[in-house]
Amino acid sequence: MLYLVEHFLFRIAINYIIQLFYIYFFNLKNINLQPKIEDIFNMIRIYNIKNYFLLLVVSFTFSFQSLAEVDGAQIFKQNCTACHVLGETKLIGPGLKGITEKRDKEWLKKWINNSSELIASGDADAIAIFEEYNKVVMTNFYFSDEEFEALFGYLENPPVEEAPVAIKNTVVAEEEGLSASTQMMLIALVLLTLIYILTSVKNSLKESLGQDTESVTATVQSNFTLFFSNTINKLFVGLFFAIVILKFVYDAMMGVGVTTNYQPEQPIAFSHKIHAGDNGIDCNYCHVSARKSKHSSIPSANVCMNCHASIVEGSIAGATELQKIYDAVGYDPDKRQYIEGYEQKPIEWVRIHNLPDLAYFNHSQHVNVGKIECQECHGAIEEMDVVKQENDLTMGWCIECHRETEVKMEGNDYYTSLHEKMKEQYSGEKITVDKIGGLECGKCHY
Amino acid sequence: MTKAKKYWKGLAELNNDPIIDKLKQNEFVEEIPVDKFLGDSDISSTSTSRRDFLKFLGFSTAAATLAACETPVNKAIPYVIKPEEVTPGVANFYATTMYDGHDYASVLVKTREGRPIKIEPNKTGTNARVQASVLSLYDSARLKNPMKSGVKSDWNNVDADITAELEKISADGGNIAFLTSTILSPTTKQLIADFSSKYKNVRHVQMDAVSSHGTLEANKTSFGVRALPMFRFDKAAVIVSFGADFIGNWGHPNNEKDYALGRNPNDGKMSKHYQVESTLSLTGSNADERIQIKPSEQAGLLSNLLNALNGGTADSRIAKMAADLSKNAGNSIVVCGSNDTKIQILVNAINDKLGNYENTITLSAPSYLNQGNDTDVAQLITDMNAGNIAALITYNINPSYSLQNAAGYNSGLEKVSLTISTSLYNDESASKMMYACPDNHYLESWGDAMPTHGEYTFMQPTISPLFNGRQFQESIMKWMGESDYHTYLQNYYSFADWNQSVHDGYFTSNDGKVNPASFAATIPSFDLSKSEAIEFEMTEKISMGDGSQSNNPWLQELPDPLSRACWDNYLTMSASTAGDLGITNWNISNGALNGSMVNITVNETTLNNVPVMIQPGQANGTVALAVGYGRTAAGKCGNDIGYNAFSLGNGDATIEVIGGEYEFAAVQLHHTMMGRDIVKETTLADFIVDPTSGNHKTLYATHDGPKTGDKVSLWDEFDHSTGHFWNMSIDLTLCTGCAACVISCHAENNVPVVGKEEIRKSRDMHWLRIDRYFSSDMTKELSAEEKISTIDMYAEMEDPSGNPETVYQPVMCQHCNHAPCETVCPVAATSHGAEGQNHMAYNRCVGTRYCANNCPYKVRRFNWFQYSDNDKFDFNMNDDYGKMVLNPDVVVRSRGVIEKCSMCIQQIQSIKLDAKKAGRTVRDEDAQTACSSACSTNAIVFGDVNDDSHQIQGLKKDSRSYQLLDHLNVDPSVFYQTKIRNKA
Repeated sequence: MLYLVEHFLFRIAINYIIQLFYIYFFNLKNINLQPKIEDIFNMIRIYNIKNYFLLLVVSFTFSFQSLAEVDGAQIFKQNCTACHVLGETKLIGPGLKGITEKRDKEWLKKWINNSSELIASGDADAIAIFEEYNKVVMTNFYFSDEEFEALFGYLENPPVEEAPVAIKNTVVAEEEGLSASTQMMLIALVLLTLIYILTSVKNSLKESLGQDTESVTATVQSNFTLFFSNTINKLFVGLFFAIVILKFVYDAMMGVGVTTNYQPEQPIAFSHKIHAGDNGIDCNYCHVSARKSKHSSIPSANVCMNCHASIVEGSIAGATELQKIYDAVGYDPDKRQYIEGYEQKPIEWVRIHNLPDLAYFNHSQHVNVGKIECQECHGAIEEMDVVKQENDLTMGWCIECHRETEVKMEGNDYYTSLHEKMKEQYSGEKITVDKIGGLECGKCHY
Repeated sequence: MTKAKKYWKGLAELNNDPIIDKLKQNEFVEEIPVDKFLGDSDISSTSTSRRDFLKFLGFSTAAATLAACETPVNKAIPYVIKPEEVTPGVANFYATTMYDGHDYASVLVKTREGRPIKIEPNKTGTNARVQASVLSLYDSARLKNPMKSGVKSDWNNVDADITAELEKISADGGNIAFLTSTILSPTTKQLIADFSSKYKNVRHVQMDAVSSHGTLEANKTSFGVRALPMFRFDKAAVIVSFGADFIGNWGHPNNEKDYALGRNPNDGKMSKHYQVESTLSLTGSNADERIQIKPSEQAGLLSNLLNALNGGTADSRIAKMAADLSKNAGNSIVVCGSNDTKIQILVNAINDKLGNYENTITLSAPSYLNQGNDTDVAQLITDMNAGNIAALITYNINPSYSLQNAAGYNSGLEKVSLTISTSLYNDESASKMMYACPDNHYLESWGDAMPTHGEYTFMQPTISPLFNGRQFQESIMKWMGESDYHTYLQNYYSFADWNQSVHDGYFTSNDGKVNPASFAATIPSFDLSKSEAIEFEMTEKISMGDGSQSNNPWLQELPDPLSRACWDNYLTMSASTAGDLGITNWNISNGALNGSMVNITVNETTLNNVPVMIQPGQANGTVALAVGYGRTAAGKCGNDIGYNAFSLGNGDATIEVIGGEYEFAAVQLHHTMMGRDIVKETTLADFIVDPTSGNHKTLYATHDGPKTGDKVSLWDEFDHSTGHFWNMSIDLTLCTGCAACVISCHAENNVPVVGKEEIRKSRDMHWLRIDRYFSSDMTKELSAEEKISTIDMYAEMEDPSGNPETVYQPVMCQHCNHAPCETVCPVAATSHGAEGQNHMAYNRCVGTRYCANNCPYKVRRFNWFQYSDNDKFDFNMNDDYGKMVLNPDVVVRSRGVIEKCSMCIQQIQSIKLDAKKAGRTVRDEDAQTACSSACSTNAIVFGDVNDDSHQIQGLKKDSRSYQLLDHLNVDPSVFYQTKIRNKA
């Protein structure tokens, strides 16, 4: 019986190793491990060797996100960031670092709910602040007690801002938890260990029965010999490796020029997270031509100056990164004025999304007409400190989207008058981009 | 018994020459010069073994492969301060005026990110040269700095020197002369007037390279107005032209458009056009009736015509014309291209007799496009040679090249102490002058023009000056101690709304008209003695004009509409005259055309080794040579091409046939349609009776009786019922063959220039060609009547008539809906679009050229070489400046791929997107391709057949509409309209 178990385990191990190769080379990430484990259990049931599997313990860890923190952060971002930062810098109002320690919470509640009332009541602190900040009245918010709790909770434990890690012009692999291949590798390792244990057990049994023992290597070897004595197996393995190598070469070739996750260091450590994320600035504010032109266009430095003429200190790098903008346009942040006769120096950004010249892409078509959100192609840009290329930008990727995306025909007279018939033709079906010629070569290649 | 016979291979072997021994030992008599082609003299002594070589090879291959894998780091550099009107990726259009001393046009300039890339018509039509002028802006042969005595200088020094010298001359009472082209700009004339009041003794002489002096003087004598009349070709029922190429190179740029307006057979009203000329011109080739004469016969025939109109007997050749004219008195036009004052007075008398003035010809709002005065020029040269001119300033002209008396001018130049050229180039004239103060190109300049009375058009810069030039007006202001021409210009136009005028590009003033006196001139008499000599005539090619843009490779490679040859000028001669002189043209084995060469002497000037092109339509006993060639200081592209016809002048020619053969670069090697109906044509009379006349669909015999192609098709039909269905209509009646569309296509689609050698190998890259067919004396009907054998018939059909009828047919990719190219592509690089276009994905193409072989229209072009960044093709795409003209929306194709007309898919996509963004359908006026927008006569119409508001829908259903080679049933999206001639 033990021999049978050993034999099956060996085959399972081989099976896993083969699958591992599949996953590695064919990127079949969705291969389900579960049925295979069930197979093992079935075998265990058949051969009644349950006990051995008690050795295998799998533990899972779950990370829970605190709901309270999310709420407090949201309240802060939605209501406060226009005038306050979570540091010591003054914006329109004071920086809020340690504010809960500095002020009594009840006082804070009163102030936030209706500051003018508090000032009118003759509160000395309130009047002092009002005077200090040029008599600008703070907006009244009227938060509930739960909201205050969440907000104070957030203010007491502000998230630790990590400085963006500047990464050299290299492609960084995405590492989140154990990848499927690592998992497989671990299972294979466990199985190999199992083979070792089984053989040892078998040997000790044989020894006690007075039979000849054989080493682990000899067992493995004899199994291999047995396996390869079959021509079909040989052929299969040969074929398998040939395919693997071809696939490897093919993938390597197809990967040429594909720069997913490209995250170069930029001349200015500009953070989209701060601008688009924390401060919620609309993408079109800076990338102004995305709605008008084929290019989304990198904003010229004068667009930066719209805000940074007054905001002279950043929340991460302070003044050092902003100084680079001032160097480009010729601005003196201390005197708050432009330098006369300054020779402007353009900022040389590193281009992240590079389409080959042979492909025509138009931002306005997608953003303005197709009503596609920027994030659908560029990923969660508002969460990126350093922008990286989220998608592979290959033709397959374009085509995939064109096959699935519905044409936004409603409310556009271009379509209503011209494609009335089309709606009849595809009655009930979604009219996707490919149905209006979105897969034709000449639409993008000319 | 056999005796061993000894055979020897030659006397040398018989004589036991030592070389035979050597030959036996070595395969080659002399050592093969390995070093020569390996380029290393020490190669035999190096120790590189074969194994090492393989190692190097392997390593370098691997290294190259690895290097190719690395993705380059691209920079994206935005503006520091973005100009408000610039949106990267979106074109801006500016209205401006093109004038280079020869061509005038009111145009729209398309700019991308501050670079002008395309010229579109605005107030006037555009010809090929105007279309191509955007490339001349980026000509790196332009003068980049001011020069003093041929040495680079700077403006401060040059200005200081010139001002000092001018002041000295003025103080000494010396004469200062401006020798300029016709000045259309009122402010420039004003500036020259200002200049003369400052420096005194200033003379302003205007000259035209191709002179209209005769006409101007005749009008002055006849009507007291020294200007050219404006012709309303759209209003005239009968048009008679004596050698005036008014569609091509003569007169106002809107002539072509007006002419076409009057020739729309669908209205049943079509002008009748007679052309009397010796050299086949573009206009002559469009005429309903063409009469060939020798230049010396012109005066006689015109006198005869006037006599006939006064009731005399008409010459048999012009009897019909005279009758038509008198029937349409007051509703006709007689024009003449002659530069002879007497002849032009005669023409004026004829038009006056017919009562055409102020009906179809107007002198009350005349054209000022040519103002040159040959008498003044001659006087200036005399004065220069006499040492009476102290300073000479030239502008917009190249007299050392374009004057017949260039030698006299050059010798006079040496006697002028201060000579200043403001030419854009260090050309034939500028290089002989002391100061070269380069002007700016019109696309870099402010300016104005008054082409016709009361009409002003404006010039505005569309790009910052590329080089360290300065516009002429600014220069003369500087020398007067003033500055800021822009303000000067603005102040001058205080009577117009400046911003609106500059925006529109023109301003029409209602004030005042010229009051021409009534015709008062004695009818001149002529010496009508007949000359037996061969007569020479200067002509002008549609591509080259007066040669001022001769360094423009687009124009050099533009095939002449009539001869279909490019990169050359040549003496044109009729087949009969050539036969008499023993001159021939022949094709070599690869089809390229060669011809005999002659030495030609006219007016005691001889040009040697001039090739002869046998040109159907050239009158017997006459020869012609186009001006604009034979430049020596035009730039690398225009230098030493052809022969300078300016130096000859019109007159009797002596021709000496010499040996040798000349290699032409012609893109069309056959001249006739060989009895096929490639161009379907009919006469107006037949058309009025039967609108389908001349246009009968091919019928296929089936068991159900004859059927049209669409009923018996083997092809699956594409569903074109939804969405757009882009079609193009080309009206062969309206197409004049002017080739503006060809250049427009070049500019829009980044079509490469390949050079003369490649053209000779039939490797031209034109996406759009204009086929030209001549009629032949032999027809199938005639052969049936006269029982001529089929072989003889076809042999004779190949020969065009001596005075042929000409048809033009623009052919681009026909965008077949049953495309033969698509089915043979092994990689599906060419495929069909649902909107009716045949797509071509260059990056997919592997270059099998099956598609080109299977294309019945032969419109696919193969990139035999890398035409960009290649020193072997040293044209605009191998030049940092020249590359700035490229359209960023269209890729530059690489070596080894097929390319072809895409129906300007980039523009279609763009207008669709504009419509989508604006939430409306595509407007008819927006639906334009490069060729259709450049077409002055509206012969090319583009649009969406599925949209009721588009003109194309009606055209497709028109009785004249037909598809080229419809018997093939390839169902093109491009269709043609039958050619109609106004004759019985």
